[in-house]
Amino acid sequence: MASIAAPKKINLPANFYPLLALTLLAVGLSIYRLIVGLGPTTNMNDHYPWGIWITIDLFIIPIAGAAFTISLISFFFGYDDYRSVLRPAVVAGFLGYSIVGILLFLDIGRWNQFYNIFNPGILNLHSFLEEISLCVTLYIGILTLEVLPIFLENTRFKNSIKWIESGIYIIAGIGILLSTLHQSSLGSLFLLMSHKLHPLWYTPALPLLFFLQAGYTGLGATAIAITLISRSKNLPTNRKLMRRIGQAMGINLLLYICIRIGDWMGAGEIPMLLKPDAFGWIAWLELTIGILIPLSILFTKFIGHSQGPFWAGIFALMGTFLNRLMITWVGLAEPSSITYMPSWIEILITVGFIAGGYMVYEIVVQYYKLIPEKRSTN
Amino acid sequence: MSISRRDFLKLSGVVVGSSFLPSLAVHASSNGQPGQQVAMLYDATLCVGCNACTNACRQWNNTTPETDQRGLYDSPPELSSDTWTMIQLYQEGDDYSFVKRQCMHCIDPACVSGCPVEALQKSKEGPVTYDANRCIGCRYCMYTCPFHIPRFEWDEVIPVVAKCTFCYDRIVEGKGPACAERCPTGALIWGKRDDLVSQAESRIESDKKRYINHIYGKDDAGGTSVLYLSGVEFNKLGLEDVGNEPIPDISEGTANIVLPGIVLGGPFLLGLIRLVSKRGGWEESWPV
Repeated sequence: MASIAAPKKINLPANFYPLLALTLLAVGLSIYRLIVGLGPTTNMNDHYPWGIWITIDLFIIPIAGAAFTISLISFFFGYDDYRSVLRPAVVAGFLGYSIVGILLFLDIGRWNQFYNIFNPGILNLHSFLEEISLCVTLYIGILTLEVLPIFLENTRFKNSIKWIESGIYIIAGIGILLSTLHQSSLGSLFLLMSHKLHPLWYTPALPLLFFLQAGYTGLGATAIAITLISRSKNLPTNRKLMRRIGQAMGINLLLYICIRIGDWMGAGEIPMLLKPDAFGWIAWLELTIGILIPLSILFTKFIGHSQGPFWAGIFALMGTFLNRLMITWVGLAEPSSITYMPSWIEILITVGFIAGGYMVYEIVVQYYKLIPEKRSTN
Repeated sequence: MSISRRDFLKLSGVVVGSSFLPSLAVHASSNGQPGQQVAMLYDATLCVGCNACTNACRQWNNTTPETDQRGLYDSPPELSSDTWTMIQLYQEGDDYSFVKRQCMHCIDPACVSGCPVEALQKSKEGPVTYDANRCIGCRYCMYTCPFHIPRFEWDEVIPVVAKCTFCYDRIVEGKGPACAERCPTGALIWGKRDDLVSQAESRIESDKKRYINHIYGKDDAGGTSVLYLSGVEFNKLGLEDVGNEPIPDISEGTANIVLPGIVLGGPFLLGLIRLVSKRGGWEESWPV
């Protein structure tokens, strides 16, 4: 195995300084938000108590689900060659969850006593929000263990992390259980909002739908990441593996669309889809972009094309974004004159921390070995 | 044949449950006899809109009066972190009615079910109480409430969630809520929930022309501790049809099946997958 040690020469990515500037701006604005409160810095109000941060959280978490999907396939379904893409997925997952953690901390009003979610005396196990808080926190710990070897494998600490290697099945297994719990529970959050959420998006099957969505969105994100990393490092793409990722994604998409349509039929909501109002149109748009286009790539010969799974991933991600946007924001709208548009501070904080995550990812890709650098034998 | 949501839920519950474990059902807020708890009865046909109740609320709870856009003293446009109860007027032609707004103090409250840190609780006396020392300010309660009651102190650095407390601090002393004790016309009374329900029933019985034949809150949202009588349709007063099932049923039912299912059944399932998985398999049978 070719090994790449930490570089002697500092060679930063071209967009490093703009990304760093955005990140630092976000850090500054976050401190400002914590000092002055939510009112002066955000446009959230009594009619829209959750804003863009929650929408972004609920979009990043399924993308970061890449770590969990690939772990499941490579460690438990026994497809060992997926392990070659485990690292880009786990690092993406770690950074994604870190961004979510920061945004959630900024979002809660009484951040000075956030630790109450860990107080066993008062935690409410019937609350899906509590369960998500615990799972996400624990999962960040698991992801930390999974990424440590990447950074320490060529240092003098490599012996002190041997236990991670030997216990990886247990660590990955716990990670998969925590992911299964919170990915589905993000959907369960809205089970208490049956009276608020638009019926085309509300269904008691939301936990299952969110779980499957995390499956295909994470796989799509992995396909995107591999394609981009291979391109930037001028490596050939392992087409057979990309095809397998595409197939796993296709199965998830197919299950998702069956349940979604089955629910619409069962609840008698098909006429809503045919009504020419905004919600009907958006549902069709979401279905076309997020499901039908990826399916028509993955179930035709395009799946074998070097860019096939990449584009299926891009469209699936756009569909997931639209879906989470509807569920956390537009679909919860009340007939009221009061509306919500994110303030520039909310937007800059969001953009800044995502830029920070991207910056770190670029640096990690450049300096550490995330995918095998030798020509694949496939 | 169409399947209702409830059936669909039951079906998926059975499917999920049978693949994992039987449900370990515990109900979050099943303390006390709802009929013996304190409640309020608001009779819109008796209310003259004098605002004595909203005044009493401000005095007891020390909230700050709000002005409207024109600067008119104490005329809040809607409930807020400083306005826990208010009187609104519905008017259409000759038809009109006042309506009082405040927390409904559900028997099985969605806010309590969703609150991650048990800051919101259904007390054994009946009122839904709030503890700021526990609250993390996540605002989930504001979304789960079917009546859109909890409000947030957006302008505070460390804000609290604010809503009617049913004057819990008075209830524990054996007194009634400030608003109900102040009402001069008898439109708002308080007492044991069972007594108020039978009183409301007999009022409807004695004057069928005066009242809509429905006690809002008796069964709505699984029953609430504030009951309404009205001469005009309830949805015109902003009291929407939220169904008769307690809002937390679906969520807690799912939690009872899915959480123990995944935590206990998951490791077993993962081990099984690991055991039976072998390479190849489905991918060779892909259509293209």
